[in-house]
Amino acid sequence: MRLSLPAAISHGRVFRRLGLGPRSRIDLLRNLVTALVRHERIEAPWARADEMRGYAEKLIDYAKLGDTNERAMRMADFWLTEKDLIHKLFKVLAPRFQPHPGNYTRMLHIPNRDGLDRAKMAVIELKGNPFPPLIRKRRDSEKTLLNQLLKGYREDMQQAAAPQAPEGTPV
Amino acid sequence: MAARWVGCGLWGRRQGRRFISTSTVSRLTSEEVIQMRNELFSKEKERQLSLYPRIEKIEVKYTGKSHPGSVFVMNKALSTPYNCAMHLSEWHCKRSVLALVDGEAWDMYRPLTKSCEIQFLTFKDEDPEEVNKAYWRSCAMIMACVLKRAFKDDYSVDLIRAPEVPVISGAFCYDIILDNRLNDWKPTNDNFRSLTRDAGKLIHKDLPFETLHVEAKVAREMFQHNKYKLEMIEQKASQNMEGIVMLHRFGDFVDVSEGPHIPRTSFCFQYEITAAHNLQTNQSELIRRFQGVSLPVHLKAHHIVWHKLLERSKRLVTEEKYLEAAAEHHEAKDGTEEEKTASI
Repeated sequence: MRLSLPAAISHGRVFRRLGLGPRSRIDLLRNLVTALVRHERIEAPWARADEMRGYAEKLIDYAKLGDTNERAMRMADFWLTEKDLIHKLFKVLAPRFQPHPGNYTRMLHIPNRDGLDRAKMAVIELKGNPFPPLIRKRRDSEKTLLNQLLKGYREDMQQAAAPQAPEGTPV
Repeated sequence: MAARWVGCGLWGRRQGRRFISTSTVSRLTSEEVIQMRNELFSKEKERQLSLYPRIEKIEVKYTGKSHPGSVFVMNKALSTPYNCAMHLSEWHCKRSVLALVDGEAWDMYRPLTKSCEIQFLTFKDEDPEEVNKAYWRSCAMIMACVLKRAFKDDYSVDLIRAPEVPVISGAFCYDIILDNRLNDWKPTNDNFRSLTRDAGKLIHKDLPFETLHVEAKVAREMFQHNKYKLEMIEQKASQNMEGIVMLHRFGDFVDVSEGPHIPRTSFCFQYEITAAHNLQTNQSELIRRFQGVSLPVHLKAHHIVWHKLLERSKRLVTEEKYLEAAAEHHEAKDGTEEEKTASI
């Protein structure tokens, strides 16, 4: 039963308060979504990137409905301020994410901003982008102890499976 | 020597048998031998320390990747590469296994003697070959210590050597000659399990590996009861220009070794002694080769993988093909400039 809650308690509130007011918040997030669709990888304050993530993924879900759909076109028209990106959204991003049911973006932490505010920053990118990956898996070298033991084991198994001293190739 | 007649009188009376002692080999009890070796080791260590009564400073330059160009001012013959790592960070202390001093692999606890360049080697480097060899040597030495203590005092145990097998063979080994009465004894799985548990106790005690470079004379005095060790000492002394032999000790087990070891026994995480094979030689005594496999703390394996490696390590490991491959490799290296032949 929802009596007038004091403004300081925010239990269960899902949406953050950004910018100057609700209209300003939506405009901020709209700019970020446009930038994401244009550049496919952007850095932004963590809170804004987190808010924007949900809107971006819902936009791509709308785009998957196809550009003939009236609602999808209206959504794309509202959310993308640069109108050449509407074409990119429907013709490039929607087919790219057609096989996936969700999770089109990846968000990772970044060191705090260099300016006076030391804000917590994040990088958010659309999956399948053409840039080099953000996280590179560091594989252990082939010559570490465990890898050498495993290599010996694998060679033994291969020698046991294949016949010893294979005969010459059949002509 | 005073202790000799004490040995003759007391021990003979206590055990109730005639004590036959020759001129040099007087102490046949293993504990006395161990104690003698320990005392000689400690005495030699103190003597080497007393050669530098005043503290002299040396400059050690760090040429690794993490803090390039740092220079440490350390004490001569007192500071070790581990002390240099302590100046850098705890990560360096925990991770580094060997130190590369002027291009030569050194133990972490061996004192530095002159101004040099230092680098630290870990298990996860690009080329951890030296580290792997040192680890295998240390594991073999732990196994030797366990085997020496495992049998009762009236069964003699003669350690021969640890053959230098590469890691890819799957097991480290130690050659040993047991008492004649144990020639028909086949170690069972329970025996191996109890040996492994002994090794586990040693690992848990976290003993440091102390190293000492002594002249062949002192080493011969220490190992006078073991003719195989004496042969090895002669061989090592002849390889070296000054006739210096490298000894290592952990706890109270002293052994001749062929290269640097890991700093502490706690670097081993999974350790298991898996098999014993009888070597066919033309000697009259039966030489047994005990084998085991181990993994360090930094490279733990999942239990399924570990069990597969255990199965593989039970097979006999022979060093002939690796020696041939190494000999070919050396010839190829001497003959042509680069050409890395893949051994095995």
